[in-house]
Formats: sequence, C-alpha cells, structure tokens
Amino acid sequence: MANEHNKNSERPVAEKGEHIIARHLIDDDAIKEEKNLVIDGVDVSGRWNTFIETRVDSEFDRSFFGEIQKTVVGSRINRCWQCGMCTASCTVTPLYRRFNPRAFIYMMQLGNLKQLKKYVDVAWRCVGCYKCSQRCPKQVNPAEMMEALALLIKKYFPEEIKSKHQLTIDEEVKAIYEGMILGHGRLDLANLHTSAMRKMGKTTELMSDKDERGAIFKMMKDGRALSVLRLGKPHKWHKSKDAIDNYLRHAGTLEQENN
Amino acid sequence: MAENILVIGGGPAGLHAAIELAELGVNVSLVERDTFFGGNPKKFKYKYLFPDLQPADNVIGELIKRAESNNNIKKYLSANIESFKEDGKKFSAVIKSSTGSETKTFDSVIVATGFEHFDPATDSKYSYQLFDDVIDIKDLERMMGEGNFTRPSNGKAPKNVAIILCVGSRDRHVGNQYCSRVCCTVSVKQAIELKEHFPETEVYIFYMDIRTYGFYEDLYWKAMEEHDVQIVKGRVAEITSGPDNTVICKGEDTLLRGPFEIPFDMVVLASGMEGGPQSPEMANKLGIELDEHGFLKQENVTLSPFKSNKDGIFLAGACTGPKAIADAIVEGGAAAMNAYIYAKKNS
Ligand SMILES: Cc1cc2nc3c(=O)[nH]c(=O)nc-3n(C[C@H](O)[C@H](O)[C@H](O)COP(=O)(O)OP(=O)(O)OC[C@H]3O[C@@H](n4cnc5c(N)ncnc54)[C@H](O)[C@@H]3O)c2cc1C
Ligand code: SF4
Ligand code: SF4
Ligand code: SF4
Repeated sequence: MANEHNKNSERPVAEKGEHIIARHLIDDDAIKEEKNLVIDGVDVSGRWNTFIETRVDSEFDRSFFGEIQKTVVGSRINRCWQCGMCTASCTVTPLYRRFNPRAFIYMMQLGNLKQLKKYVDVAWRCVGCYKCSQRCPKQVNPAEMMEALALLIKKYFPEEIKSKHQLTIDEEVKAIYEGMILGHGRLDLANLHTSAMRKMGKTTELMSDKDERGAIFKMMKDGRALSVLRLGKPHKWHKSKDAIDNYLRHAGTLEQENN
Repeated sequence: MAENILVIGGGPAGLHAAIELAELGVNVSLVERDTFFGGNPKKFKYKYLFPDLQPADNVIGELIKRAESNNNIKKYLSANIESFKEDGKKFSAVIKSSTGSETKTFDSVIVATGFEHFDPATDSKYSYQLFDDVIDIKDLERMMGEGNFTRPSNGKAPKNVAIILCVGSRDRHVGNQYCSRVCCTVSVKQAIELKEHFPETEVYIFYMDIRTYGFYEDLYWKAMEEHDVQIVKGRVAEITSGPDNTVICKGEDTLLRGPFEIPFDMVVLASGMEGGPQSPEMANKLGIELDEHGFLKQENVTLSPFKSNKDGIFLAGACTGPKAIADAIVEGGAAAMNAYIYAKKNS
C-alpha cells in the first residue's frame, strides 16, 4: 500500500482520509484535506490537516423549491406530503432500491443538493409508466416530477453525469419503449410491468397463480379491466406516430439527446 | 297545541333529536329508511365503542329503547320522504312507509341521514373483494360483533394482520380530500380487540398520520404499549396474492426509505365515511345545499353548524361530515333545540 502511494505523487494526499477509522461511514465530500497547509507557522500539510465536515444539515434551501415550481413538470411540488404511495407503486424501485421518487421529491422540496448528488447514477431511471401519478393521493404527478429531477441533475451535476456514471439507455428498455409507443400510442403498463418482473426473475408470479387468474376474471366481470382497455389510442394518433417515426429515422437513436 | 317536527334518519343523531323533542312534548315523526333504528352502528353490529370500549348496546340500544317507548314519537320504518314542499313558514311532506302514504304538515325539520362507508372496491389498488382475506373496518366491526375474529378464507387465527389507514379518504385520486376522523381510532380499537382475542397475532398499522385526536390518543398508546401493535409509516400501493394463501402488501416504508412486499394473513382497510347517495337526495328534495365534499352544507361551520341554508331545516350528525357518535348525539340535541325554537316562534 504505502509504496503505491509514493509512486502516485501527483495526488494531493495519499488516499483521501485513509487513516480515518471507520472510513466507510464517511462520504468523500465530507472529508477535507489540504496538500500544503500552514496554520500559525505550523506546517500541517497532508494528513495532519484532515478535517471531517459536520454531517448536520444547516439549511433548507427554498430557492431551489421555487426553481422547480416554475417548471411545467414540477409545478405541483408544493403538494407532496411524503406519503410514499409513488415509491410503493414504482416499477423501478424494486430493481434499484436507491431510486425513490418520494425521497427525491423531498430532497427537491428542501433543496438538499448534497443528498441528491448521491443519486445521480439512478435518479434518471424512471421509465415513465405513470403508476405513481395514477395513485398519488395529492395528484403531485410524481412521474413528471422525475422529469424535473432529470433536468435539474443535468443542470447542477453535468460533471457527475459525464464522468462518473456512463448514462446510457438500456437496450431492453429502449426496445420496449419504441415497441409500445409506436405500436399502441401509449405506454403499456402490463408490458412494462411484465418486463420488470422478468428482469427481477419473478417469472412464476406472472399469471401462474390461480388466485391471480381468478382476480383477473373478477376484474373482467365487474368492468374494472374494461375501463383500462377502453383507454384506446390518442386522438389522430397516426400524425404523432409519423412524427415520431420521422424523428427516429433522422436521429437514429433515442439516446442522441443525452450525449 | 303541540308542535309538529319531522326527523329524517333514525341513527344516533336522529334518535337523540327525536327523544329530546318528544320530552318537550313535541309531536315527532321519525322517518327511517331501514327496517330498524340505530343507523350504521346497528347495521354493522358495532359491539364495543371507542373511546372507552363500552358495549354499543349501552348507547345505541339505550337510544332505541327510549325512542320506542315514547308515545310522542310516531315511528316510520322502511320509510322515505316521497315529496316535500314549503308551506309558508311550515313544511308539508308525504311520508311513504310499509303502511302506506301519509301527508303531514310540520313546523320544522331535522335531517339526520348520516353517512355511507366508502366502498374500497372502487379503488382497485386494494384488491377488495378479489381476495377473501382483504376486508375493511366495517366488515371487521360486523365480524367481531358476531364473535368472529378469524380469517374469512379458512376460519383460522391470522398469524399477522395489516391495517391500512386512509382508504378512500385524503385522496384526490378517489375524490375525497377530507379526513374521515374516526377511522384511525376505529383501527387502533380493532387492533386492541384483535390482540385481546389472539395475543399471538402480529398487528401492523400502515399510516401517513395517526389522527386519534383528543382523548382518543389513549387508545393509540394502549394499542402500542399494552398490545405491541407495530406502526409502519408508509402506504400500500398494491395487494396481490402471496404464497400459502396469504396476501402481499406492496408499499414503501418511508422511514427506512425502501420498498417492501410482505405477506399477510389478513388485511383490514380503514375505509372512510362519505355523504352517500342520501345527501344529494335530501338536498334535492328539501331544497338545501350540498357542500364540496358531498355532505350537507352547514349555514356557518362554526357559528351555526346544525343549521342548513334554509330556515326551519336543521342538520345533525354525520350527514354534515365525518364524526363520532358522541358528536352525532350532541348535534342531535342542538338541532332539536333549534328546531323547537323555530317551531315555537311560528306556530
Ligand atoms: C367502522 C366504523 C366504526 C365506528 N365506531 C365508532 C365507535 O366505536 N364510537 C363512535 O363514537 N363512533 C364510531 N363510528 C362513527 C359512527 O358510526 C357515527 O358517528 C354515527 O353512526 C353517526 O350517526 P348518525 O345518526 O349521524 O348517522 P348514521 O349512523 O349513518 O344514521 C343515519 C340513519 O339515517 C337513515 N337514512 C339515511 N338516508 C335516509 C333517508 N333518505 N330517509 C330516511 N332515513 C334515512 C339511515 O338508514 C340511518 O339509519 C364508527 C364509524 C365507522 C365507519
Ligand atoms: S408524490 Fe404523491 S405519492 Fe409520492 S410521496 Fe408525494 S404525495 Fe405521496
Ligand atoms: S413513472 Fe417513473 S417514478 Fe413513476 S412509478 Fe413509473 S418508473 Fe416509478
Ligand atoms: S382518521 Fe386516520 S385513517 Fe381516517 S382519514 Fe383521518 S388520518 Fe386517515
């Protein structure tokens, strides 16, 4: 170990906070170390000046709240009362536990960028299934709030997006999207749900259980299933479809925007 | 000559109003659409009432007895108001019951048509009526009233029970933005009753807020401190079938910040209170107003909560919003006093 550090002389200090006991408990950002530092004539360069910042939040930054509120997708941020129905409904959370729409909205409400920054790698993973928005008791529209979050992350953490986390759209997700949107004119929840379940390896839960089948039968009978099917395609769908087709042909890929 | 006053609805509020008026010597006509008096507590066989867990019979049975034995009260069961019109300062109504139609003139009117339980089947995420072991608080109240605490699917003691609060209340999505006020207290009461019956059963309450307001808080503390009822802060978004005849609650534990999918033997939905079809029906028939929550509108929510917007027509009980039996009884008395004053002035 020691040898390695000596070789790597361009680093400010050997390994940030390496001598801190229980180093794993402390975030990188909370550790301050100066390569060269002299205080009152005493040279405390290197590990001697290691300083752990307090982890107590010292402000609620409402300017940030205001910024979100001004966007079309984030306008209802003041409605959220942190019940968790969105996270409970979410297609993605079971796959990435760290993707938590409720918690993200809370961080946005309080302007806690320090926390948000930790989730740059997952914060964009919303698949737009709108299950959360359908169930949110306050009609916050958390699905669109995730869009506000994505925009915000792009604005505040451009470096993190580029360097740390290679953000690429998963091929499978892309295929589902293109298939659904072009084929049906809207996101197909059943399809999304099924593919998410498959990804989690929960194949047995998919319709195999007799109760589940019974449930579906009952829902057909009392009309609940029908109300879902009745949704249909958007008005004058072929026009939108042509536009999307056209875009895809020229852009080549949905990823273009992100790069 | 004695005053004539019409009381519509024979629940706790209507019964109490009728009894108080009858004791003042008023000729009361008490019109109830069901085949029995006692309202929702009777219909769903409430056995023990919050806050003090006294037998419901002490309250509801007692009110029914007093009303039935009072000759100043003319009782109409399986009845309804067929038509209604104003007649100067008085009111004329046709009462239709099993014994035929009767037209009567009244000096004033009290509406005490109460509430209906929110039907959880209308909110598909809870899978109510899809699985036998998903029931709601009124079902459990009735089951316990009949001495049955077991799982509907197999008649056995449940190993664990999930109680889910705010079903059909505080939810724009279902159209009810208000808090139903009693369901938290009913839920902790039922948790206690379940634990007293089956001490081995684990009971969990999934909540956003626990609103056991005022002294009802005692029951909440008791549920936790004497019966180890566990509260979990988070909502359940989906109920599906699980292994070994269980139902899985999928939700988020907002304090631990993470999703859960936990199998339960029984799920109890704390469904709230609604104005029901009777509130708009009364509003139309009597020419009074509905409020934005689907209950009957009070003239002034603070100054005169027992008055409708029409002179001579008074309101009592859960027809103006969710409330406990004690409140319904208090309002029955207040409406009786107001209806009496109005009748006295104009007869
Ligand atoms: C599950 C549950 C448990 C509860 N447990 C408790 C408890 O333990 N303690 C407590 O204090 N409170 C409890 N409550 C609250 C309690 O039920 C209400 O406070 C009470 O029933 C209100 O009385 P009410 O007379 O206003 O209305 P209701 O009880 O609803 O009575 C209204 C009456 O009017 C009749 N009616 C309706 N429409 C018409 C019409 N058009 N013509 C003629 N008659 C009509 C109805 O048939 C009914 O008999 C509970 C509520 C729920 C949901
Ligand atoms: S966005 Fe809606 S569902 Fe999610 S925590 Fe906020 S209020 Fe609840
Ligand atoms: S729209 Fe996004 S945040 Fe909402 S449930 Fe679907 S994946 Fe989750
Ligand atoms: S009383 Fe409790 S369960 Fe009922 S609506 Fe209010 S907070 Fe929800």
